[in-house]
Amino acid sequence: MGPIRIEPQKALDEAQRFNSKLAAGLSSLRALDEVDYGATAKEEIYREDKLVLYRFKGAGKSTSKTPLLIAYALVNRPYMVDLQDDRSLVKNLLAMGEDVYLIDWGYPDPSDRYLTLDDYINGYIDRCVDAVAKRCKVDKINLLGICQGGAFSLCYAATHREKIRNLITMVTPVDFHTKDNMLSHWTRGMDVDLFVDTLGNVPADLMNWCYLTLKPVRLFQQKYIGLVDILDDKIELENFLRMEKWIFDSPDQAGEAFRQFIKDFYQANKLVNGGLKIGDKDVSLKNVTMPILNIFAEQDHLVPPSASRPLKQLAGTKDYTELAFKGGHIGIYVSGRAQREVPGAIHDWLAAR
Amino acid sequence: MQQGVLKFRAFVEMRMSDTKPTQDWQKDWQALQKQYWSAWQDATRNATGAPDAATPWHEGLEQWSRLFANSGKQNETADRLLGSAKAYVALMQSMLAASAGKDAGAGVQTAWTQAMRDGLNVPGMDALFANNPIAAMLQGLRGPGVQGFGELPQAFAPFLAQAKREGMSWLNAPAFGYAREHQERMQKAASAFVEFQDAVGRYNALMLKSSQRSFAIFEDKLTQRAEPGRQIDSLRGLYDLWVDAAEEAYAEIALSDEFRTVYGDVVNAQMRVRAHVQAEVERLGAELGMPTRSELNSVHKRLHGLRRKDSEARIAGLESELATLRGEVAALKKAAPRAVVPHKLPKPSAKTAKRKR
Repeated sequence: MGPIRIEPQKALDEAQRFNSKLAAGLSSLRALDEVDYGATAKEEIYREDKLVLYRFKGAGKSTSKTPLLIAYALVNRPYMVDLQDDRSLVKNLLAMGEDVYLIDWGYPDPSDRYLTLDDYINGYIDRCVDAVAKRCKVDKINLLGICQGGAFSLCYAATHREKIRNLITMVTPVDFHTKDNMLSHWTRGMDVDLFVDTLGNVPADLMNWCYLTLKPVRLFQQKYIGLVDILDDKIELENFLRMEKWIFDSPDQAGEAFRQFIKDFYQANKLVNGGLKIGDKDVSLKNVTMPILNIFAEQDHLVPPSASRPLKQLAGTKDYTELAFKGGHIGIYVSGRAQREVPGAIHDWLAAR
Repeated sequence: MQQGVLKFRAFVEMRMSDTKPTQDWQKDWQALQKQYWSAWQDATRNATGAPDAATPWHEGLEQWSRLFANSGKQNETADRLLGSAKAYVALMQSMLAASAGKDAGAGVQTAWTQAMRDGLNVPGMDALFANNPIAAMLQGLRGPGVQGFGELPQAFAPFLAQAKREGMSWLNAPAFGYAREHQERMQKAASAFVEFQDAVGRYNALMLKSSQRSFAIFEDKLTQRAEPGRQIDSLRGLYDLWVDAAEEAYAEIALSDEFRTVYGDVVNAQMRVRAHVQAEVERLGAELGMPTRSELNSVHKRLHGLRRKDSEARIAGLESELATLRGEVAALKKAAPRAVVPHKLPKPSAKTAKRKR
């Protein structure tokens, strides 16, 4: 028996359905307004340069004694954690009684080109931690670092132990030289000095192009063919467009910080090999001694689980917990499963400490 | 069938004019769809079975592309959607032609793979990317928000035209005379561009390799689907299977040492070309008395340095002040005779407490 049982009439019907859906759907696409994002009310509590520190306002009073600060990556916008009403890590955490704060890094322009990792980690993050601690009248806070923000949080926690009670890392790369890490593999032939000296800040368009080329057929073609299936569903279409907006709403990268991140993390793998220095502070994961919850996504093509798992061996903590989420790098925030599993896991883990 | 195709083309030319209002377009499109698919329905009912593969399925979508070109809202998404849909429609056409009259006999996997290969050669695509769907897809990754390696020659066309006018033959000739510096710069820029083109050529060759590999993997995957219950019964199922194969093939290549070298070469060569062009633009700007990137960088660098120094000095000042205060507090504690026992405040009466609340 052959592998294909496509009858001509059935195939024709399928093709006709596709075309009809496309024709009807293009009109509804045209009629749609710009999508909005962000589900939860928030207030600004600190501002510096282009950075804004927000506190989210929940419906009820927070029951947690220790505030939770989210440090997102520089390469995308942080509203992914509060994308829409039914897809919001923040909203769920608030509902469980957490007091949630978020660093919005803003959009660097050419005047920010000389910002270094020292500025970001020992400067901005440190001052945000202080601002949250001061506001809540506590000595230590909980820190949740996401992706590149997770790597920053590890560096910060290693060098400012006295300020962090519990550390949560989500989809955070630690070992950048695992065999399945395509992004890291590509950067190793790059002359990053030439790259930054030429471009200054690294344009977001270039970064996006790079991410799309990790899975070019799936991300550039198959995804849009799949879009035809939902063109007649306004809600689904809006969800799709909201996600599209987030994907391509990317800030440029401050040149010097990018240079150091590629050199020390991607190329030299210093979180594993040692020798990492941020400003005048030596970073060793052995100094990350507070409790750690490490959450990674099993189908993550940007930060493979193999890149996150080594934290267990490298960190100095005796209280290490791992959560393997069944999903991808984006699904870990926005999928239905993520809403059910991730906020609860974070809250329960924090509550036990 | 051929007559039907001609009628269809005439219909497209007659009905799809760029000056019509949207509602008319919508009606036209629906009418076109109806006629178009009727032709196909008729074709499949014919005794001959297979429809004519020359029928231009993508033409209606081309019209839609033009219609949406200036639509503003969601324009980019519509653009991407139509681009993908055009490729998919072409693929469906090839598959549909293949599906008519195919049995489950020997060589069927190869025949379907060939149909897939043909279908991925989208009408109107650059001949350079024939049989190289992965490279074609990467070439298509452009537009607002996304730019690829292939954009560079277009962006630098004026500069390249100048280089061409001045002749490429002097690439390695020694520079001398009044314009020596200028000539040497142009030589270096032209060499950098040649290196870039060479690197892009090697990159596309690897993409061709991954495209070819994708068809081999696709055929293997098809073979695995021969068992009952795993067979493919839709065009979409077949397409999705090819996508899995293509991504698998691409990942094999993209994780190879050869790719790492070639990728690095392309990026580095592109940066060298950019740097040369930027330097020329900067030189021209300076001649016209315009502020340049280097000047701004210099200012930004100094400003950043000053801010750091200021912040460090402020922190050092605060630390010193804190140390002094701590010292004074310690001295006061030492000098104080004994801790003073605080006076016990009288308990407020019930009346006062109530008033306070």
